[in-house]
Amino acid sequence: MFLALKELQRAKVRFGLLIAAVALLVFLILFQQSLQNGLLTSFVGAIRNQSAEVLVYRTDGRRILQGSVISPDLEAMVRSSGAAAEVARIGQGTFTVTPGEGGDGVPIETSILGYEDPGLGAPTTLVEGRLPEGPGEAVASDADAELGFGVGDTVTVLPGGLDITVVGLARDVQLNVTPTLFVTYDTYVQSVRSRNPDAGEPLPNVLALRAPPDVPADRLVDQVNGLSDELDTLTRADAADKAPGVAQVRQSFQVIFLLYGFVVPLVTGLFFLIITFQKASALTLLRAIGAPARTLLTSLLVQVVVVLGGGLLLGIGLYAALVRGRIGGIPLRFETTAVLVWTALLVAGGLLSSLFSARRVMALDPYAATTGAGVGS
Amino acid sequence: MKLALRELRRRPGRFGAAGLILTLIALLLMFLGGLLDGLIRSSTGAMYALDGDVVVYTASAEDSFLRSRIEPTLRSTVDGVDGVASSAGIGVVQLGARLADKGPRDLLDVVVFGTEAPPLGVDALPGDGEAIADTTLQEQGVQVGTELSVGPARSTLTVVGFVEDTQYLGQAALWTNPETWRTVLTDNRPDQQLGDGVFQALTVRVDDGAVAADVADAIDIATGRSTASLTVVAAAEGLPGVEQQTATFNQIIGVTVGIAVVVVALFFALLTVERASLYGVLKAVGARSGTLFGGLVLQAVVLSAVACVIAGSAAIALDAVIPPGSIPLRISGTRIGQSAVFLLVAAVIGCAFSLRRLLRVDPASAIGSGS
Repeated sequence: MFLALKELQRAKVRFGLLIAAVALLVFLILFQQSLQNGLLTSFVGAIRNQSAEVLVYRTDGRRILQGSVISPDLEAMVRSSGAAAEVARIGQGTFTVTPGEGGDGVPIETSILGYEDPGLGAPTTLVEGRLPEGPGEAVASDADAELGFGVGDTVTVLPGGLDITVVGLARDVQLNVTPTLFVTYDTYVQSVRSRNPDAGEPLPNVLALRAPPDVPADRLVDQVNGLSDELDTLTRADAADKAPGVAQVRQSFQVIFLLYGFVVPLVTGLFFLIITFQKASALTLLRAIGAPARTLLTSLLVQVVVVLGGGLLLGIGLYAALVRGRIGGIPLRFETTAVLVWTALLVAGGLLSSLFSARRVMALDPYAATTGAGVGS
Repeated sequence: MKLALRELRRRPGRFGAAGLILTLIALLLMFLGGLLDGLIRSSTGAMYALDGDVVVYTASAEDSFLRSRIEPTLRSTVDGVDGVASSAGIGVVQLGARLADKGPRDLLDVVVFGTEAPPLGVDALPGDGEAIADTTLQEQGVQVGTELSVGPARSTLTVVGFVEDTQYLGQAALWTNPETWRTVLTDNRPDQQLGDGVFQALTVRVDDGAVAADVADAIDIATGRSTASLTVVAAAEGLPGVEQQTATFNQIIGVTVGIAVVVVALFFALLTVERASLYGVLKAVGARSGTLFGGLVLQAVVLSAVACVIAGSAAIALDAVIPPGSIPLRISGTRIGQSAVFLLVAAVIGCAFSLRRLLRVDPASAIGSGS
């Protein structure tokens, strides 16, 4: 133990470089984990964190809220089927709005999502204020509060000039990486007309369903999908996970994580293997003068733990310091679960990779000291 | 130098593990770069295929086709601006397309472009009810002669040819003439229909010798700032997510290069320690520190080059086996070359960490060294 720590002190550059490499890798992995989660939340958070447990899209909408249009005959079909306990409309569009006083006054692209029934489409993660109770009120994403979408801010839909006042903030409710406003369905219709006065009554984009008390959401999905091939019914979780692009983002990051995940134990394992080879003669001598193999093995493991621990602490510290605010509109946050999971994975991988060195240490033959040979021979 | 190369040849195993790590890092660099290229190209390919130098939107559209509307009177103003050689109307509509032999819920993501000027790579606009398709649709079974039922109105478009690299926001383009596009738009998105002569945007060709950015400014001034005109490159980079993706991936690639520097530094620092006595002997017989350091750098460069070759091959293989439509990977020679340069530079910088230790090796240490 004493020798292990002494060696760390004496070879600061070598061990420092290894700790720096591990720290950078840990930082990158965690940063990208935040980026992935932030990206997915910004894309589909508004779907994942709304109150309707089942959503009905039009098949042609390709599971894009704005791309789906429920025609009157399809809406009537769902309502008259009696499959759902309650059916309500949800409308969504992208509008150019001037943010409130908290922002810079520059018009910004904003998603407005209107719901008929607070139990079927309202945000479920309210962190401040209240849900809209009347026309011209909205709940905004808390990530956009500083952009002029804070409680009390009034945003203006262009070019018609409809004013909407933010009365509440909800967590993780962005859509398509834009500021997002949840409003009553009437306010949504007014927003559409404000943008285009010639527009008639806009059709709903999706229908929100509540399952009867004894019917699970999955069965309701099957029942409604059975009504027509024109209907694409999904549970809330599926609607978020199967939205276009979500699977691609996940797969891309998984490959990246896999590659980075391999590099950490490889670098650690290689380093200690080389060190063990270099110290072969000294270690053999120590064995020859009575040092038990277990002591040498403990020294090795102490060094591995110190290096991994140092790298993890530095990397997590760097991550905690830098993963704040937003990158290109994507809100990033410290992901405690990711830190714990990756810490466990990387420590396990690092210790596993050090087994190659441990095997060499255990194979030391004290007799070899009399011949000058070491473990590497 | 010869000694360094000979060591690489005689004892490749000594460098094997470091080579493996560098190969992984090179693969990471190429994969990250390829992913960025794939993402950007699948978003912007159609924009770069526009036969023009400037794209003109209405000012309130926030550079979005869907919210832009160019009336004929506004177009006349644009056509009259100095430096404008010609303009062409353009519009888009994003829809699902059905193939006769696929399931009723198995739709293709397409974006129907209607344009007065054929995209680059296409000689002439297709006839009414016809479309030139992006080649990515071939992977979905679309061929020349295939009839696609587009949108909820099942508008029929017959594919009469293909053009490469014209995806738009991740969707395959179907290029049609303005009349066909207008019909598809009206039938499937009645709330977005436009009157005769009205387009969502214009593509403008500038006169020979004119600077596109200057002409774009002149157009906006002439229209009293009721238009937002961008060069094609700026319009492509202004598409949602493009700038953010580029910045984010470049930062990740930068840190990965930093990791390569540290790994090379670490490995060659270990090698230098291991060879300290050998370097003492070499210095004692007259070898200069510069020569020894040169050998170290040469080894790092050769090791990195080998790693890049293996990683490049792996990246190409990965690109080939990843099924179309899953990960938007686009591995190109340019990207492989750029990643290789990054890694080689990282290797040289990493080696510099060993220079101080190498300079400190005392030739006198060779005396009495038995090892």
